[in-house]
Amino acid sequence: MSAQSNSHWDRRTLLRAAAGLAVAAPLAACGSNNGRGGGGSGKQLQQYFHAYGEAGVEQAVKRYAKAYSKAGVSTQWITGADYETKLFAALLTQQAPDVFEFHPQIQLVKSGQVADLTDIIEPVKDDFNPADIASHSYDGKIYGVRMIDDPQFLFYRKSMLQKANVAVPTTLEELIEAAAKLTTPKVKGLFLGNDLHAVEAPLIWSAGAETLTAKNEIGYHTDGVVEGLRQLRKLFTSGSLLLDAPADFWDPSAISQGLCAIQFCGMWAMPVMQQALGDDLGVLPFPKVGSKGRPSVYNGGWSMFVNAKGGDVDAAKEYVKWLWIDQKQYQEDFATSYGFHIPPRTSIAARADKLKSGLPAEGVKLFNTYGHFDNIGWTQAMWSAWDSVIADCVRKGGDPEAALDKADRTVGRELKKLFG
Amino acid sequence: MTTSVPEAGAKSRRVRRADALGNTGLYLAVSVAAVFFLVPFYLIVRNALSTDAEITGENWKFFPTHLRWGNISELFDDTTVDFARSLWNSMVVAVLMTAGILLICSLAGYGLARIPYQHASKVFYAVLATLMVPTAVTFVPSFVLVSSLGWVDSYRGLVIPGLFSGFTCFLFRQYFLGFPKELEEAARVDGLGYWGAYWRVVVPNSLNFFAAMATITFINGWNSFLWPLVIGQDPSSWTVQVALSSYMTNQTVNYHLIFMATAVSILPLLLVFLFLQRWLVQGIAQTGIKG
Amino acid sequence: MSTTTTRGIARSAPAGPAKARPRQGLGANRTLNFWLFTGPFLIGLVIFVFVPIVWSVWLSFYDARFTVTPSHFVGLDNYRHMLSNSDFTGSLVTFTVFAAFIVPTTWALALGLALLVHRLRLLRAFFRSVFFLPTACSYVAAALIWKMSLFNGVRFGLANTVVGWFGVDNIAWVSNPSPPWYWLVVVTVRLWLQSGFYMILFLAALQNIPGELYEAAAIDGARRGWQTFRYITLPQLRATSTAVILLLLIAAYQAFDEFYNLITTRATWGQTPLMVLYKTALGASQDYGSGSAGAVILTLLICVVTLFQGRIMGFGRGEEST
Repeated sequence: MSAQSNSHWDRRTLLRAAAGLAVAAPLAACGSNNGRGGGGSGKQLQQYFHAYGEAGVEQAVKRYAKAYSKAGVSTQWITGADYETKLFAALLTQQAPDVFEFHPQIQLVKSGQVADLTDIIEPVKDDFNPADIASHSYDGKIYGVRMIDDPQFLFYRKSMLQKANVAVPTTLEELIEAAAKLTTPKVKGLFLGNDLHAVEAPLIWSAGAETLTAKNEIGYHTDGVVEGLRQLRKLFTSGSLLLDAPADFWDPSAISQGLCAIQFCGMWAMPVMQQALGDDLGVLPFPKVGSKGRPSVYNGGWSMFVNAKGGDVDAAKEYVKWLWIDQKQYQEDFATSYGFHIPPRTSIAARADKLKSGLPAEGVKLFNTYGHFDNIGWTQAMWSAWDSVIADCVRKGGDPEAALDKADRTVGRELKKLFG
Repeated sequence: MTTSVPEAGAKSRRVRRADALGNTGLYLAVSVAAVFFLVPFYLIVRNALSTDAEITGENWKFFPTHLRWGNISELFDDTTVDFARSLWNSMVVAVLMTAGILLICSLAGYGLARIPYQHASKVFYAVLATLMVPTAVTFVPSFVLVSSLGWVDSYRGLVIPGLFSGFTCFLFRQYFLGFPKELEEAARVDGLGYWGAYWRVVVPNSLNFFAAMATITFINGWNSFLWPLVIGQDPSSWTVQVALSSYMTNQTVNYHLIFMATAVSILPLLLVFLFLQRWLVQGIAQTGIKG
Repeated sequence: MSTTTTRGIARSAPAGPAKARPRQGLGANRTLNFWLFTGPFLIGLVIFVFVPIVWSVWLSFYDARFTVTPSHFVGLDNYRHMLSNSDFTGSLVTFTVFAAFIVPTTWALALGLALLVHRLRLLRAFFRSVFFLPTACSYVAAALIWKMSLFNGVRFGLANTVVGWFGVDNIAWVSNPSPPWYWLVVVTVRLWLQSGFYMILFLAALQNIPGELYEAAAIDGARRGWQTFRYITLPQLRATSTAVILLLLIAAYQAFDEFYNLITTRATWGQTPLMVLYKTALGASQDYGSGSAGAVILTLLICVVTLFQGRIMGFGRGEEST
């Protein structure tokens, strides 16, 4: 035990060092004031954004905020997977954001969390994509301003399809066959995301069904969907589906690094893909399932909401109106200068030149032809129920009917709570 | 120091050969185990010093052809995440937590172990009961509480709620139960009282154990994730774990940056460890963290 | 060290008579001192631990969605919902399987490493450090290494590269539940992170075993190796083993970080109770009532298991001496 012999000295130095640190640390703590900044006097607003992956978006959002003269606006830029946790924890407190981006959710409306924005949207309502107004409306009131529409579809490497002598697939069955032919020891045929969550809604739509019917009843439990689930199971076990990629479907790296030939992704990633792959890129909608189906594209996106429980709701609404309704050049910049998004307002979409030719134009065409929007009544709990369906019957190999019956119970409970 | 059978005089050659064989086997086993334990460290270093193309290439490269030390400056030059700031925050948080926990929990542990108060065991069981409650359970109420104190985005919010660790208090109590009674009793008789005896006799004779606890607390403070994630709303109050996870969830994955960040986040702890680990062993040996 | 020892010896003679003095008013003095020592800790414990716990219990009887100050009392409805929720009950099974495997495995590995390191003469500190260093890594860092570089499902993962040498196709380690490779991923990460710490506990305990015991055993003809291990080392390590197993059980119950970071939250397998509760309360579902109800159920279970384990293994013996 050599340590024992000199431990006396060591202890003393150790203690002294520890004491020094203990004194220094609180001093350091005093020096840091992490209060919500933002220069100038007058009103202070705080906005929450999830982290967009494309370079420059964060700076852009902060630039817009700085240009606003009636209040100081600070921005919280929150990294992807943790956005919901942080946002919803913060919303319970006094430090809640005044405005935040999210997707239309009926629960947010019913719990009085988001403010009614009808008065600021009404004057320009006709300029918005009607579907974007509908998906944010409940009981005749509009609760959020759509900032961007993000169509999601399949991207494929033209050269790889040519080499494998595969035609662009038009049905799910053809897609599965194509994936098999495109698979080599180093490259998988198809990537639909690690948990297949992203293709849940497209599968339902492509099978000719709906998540919820117009009367807010279960619409997904059809024979076509069951057939689609069976085919997905076949694909899952075929060995031609890329699984456990280090980055998920929203990241273009699977296709741009050559890990797969076809990837489900969003239009936002198009610039990065084009940079990596040049012209060797094509797009197609999620193909139809069965004979009654029709190809579909999921029109996701982000919207701006005002926290109804915030400190100054009127000031927050004024800021949202200024940025997301009045400042058209910022809206266009946000939609087209970084990743590609489709502006929800027809007047801006009409002058967005970057989206008018080449591959972006094809993406816009898919959006217009096959697009489906969010349903405000389809809640997070219902998404989770469908995650279980995919997990149980596609990934574990259970019976699709049984899995859908189980989902019916969960979704039914939710629907009953929401709509009585 | 060794507890193996004492060398009993002259050994026969056969025994010695068996010993040699046994030794070879021992070192072989321990080396194989060591390789497995080192693989993740190898991956960190390899990836941190490679280019993305080398990491994601078709064939495994055991080591990058050129060690790209420039990745370090790329990490610290990156303006989207202020990594240096997050390192500093973690350091402050871990140091404050360590100092605070050692002070508060050791006092309480001593009180519970040594001061004969009639309801002491009831208090002790109340403390013990908190060990059974999973922390994630009380997460949201805790956050609302701390936020209503206005402690979001501050060192106070990061540190203070974590200071009252039932577990550390429990360990201190177990340790003080085994502390030789004669020493402190003599001191108390000397007129020092419980307080004086504690600071003049008990603490100076327990430094090994305090060092052991300090090591463990420091690690936990440095590595905690979920709480700093929610408390650190503003990037200027991010700890290094939060910064690290932000690299992981960014929409475009930069492998070399992620692994360089990992390496940098682990390094300070490795140094602390190498410096403190012998106290850790001794401290634990003295207490016997025992039932 | 030396000064205090001499003082202790020097005072030991008059200690008897002098003891009488401070005994006057001792009860009040003791009470005061007790609160002086434990007060700061207990105040903090009440504010930052007990208040949130009571708050959670209160929430569990309310319909608390998107709010933690609900007004709609629902009685035991949340409990009924959680107990009939197959995700939650399934997670309890998952946990039991996980604990039944990880606790003995970590115990055995930590003990094995400690025994090996303890016997080393050369390079002992080096090997001890090697096994101990992973303790310095966070779950975030470890999950990152495992997910991105070790067990990812593509060609540039180390695990797939290695199985590739044997002509095996790339394996999706986490996404595909059959065969359940995800257990390998989750278990290895925990073993790597934890074993070193428990090895240190065992090493410390091994150092405390008096050498005479082995000498006596050698004289009695006990053979080195299994016999001395079985009849001396293991019994001498009993106290440490019990403590380690208790710590491991608690850690297993609290298992969250590596599951959260490694297994997609959209999976229905490999979900620990805390994962399910997190999804219920903290994701976008924001159902704090049901989440809290599940938490209460889980806590009660932990209490029962701990008491049961204490009965069997004798943990907590000697507490009465307080």
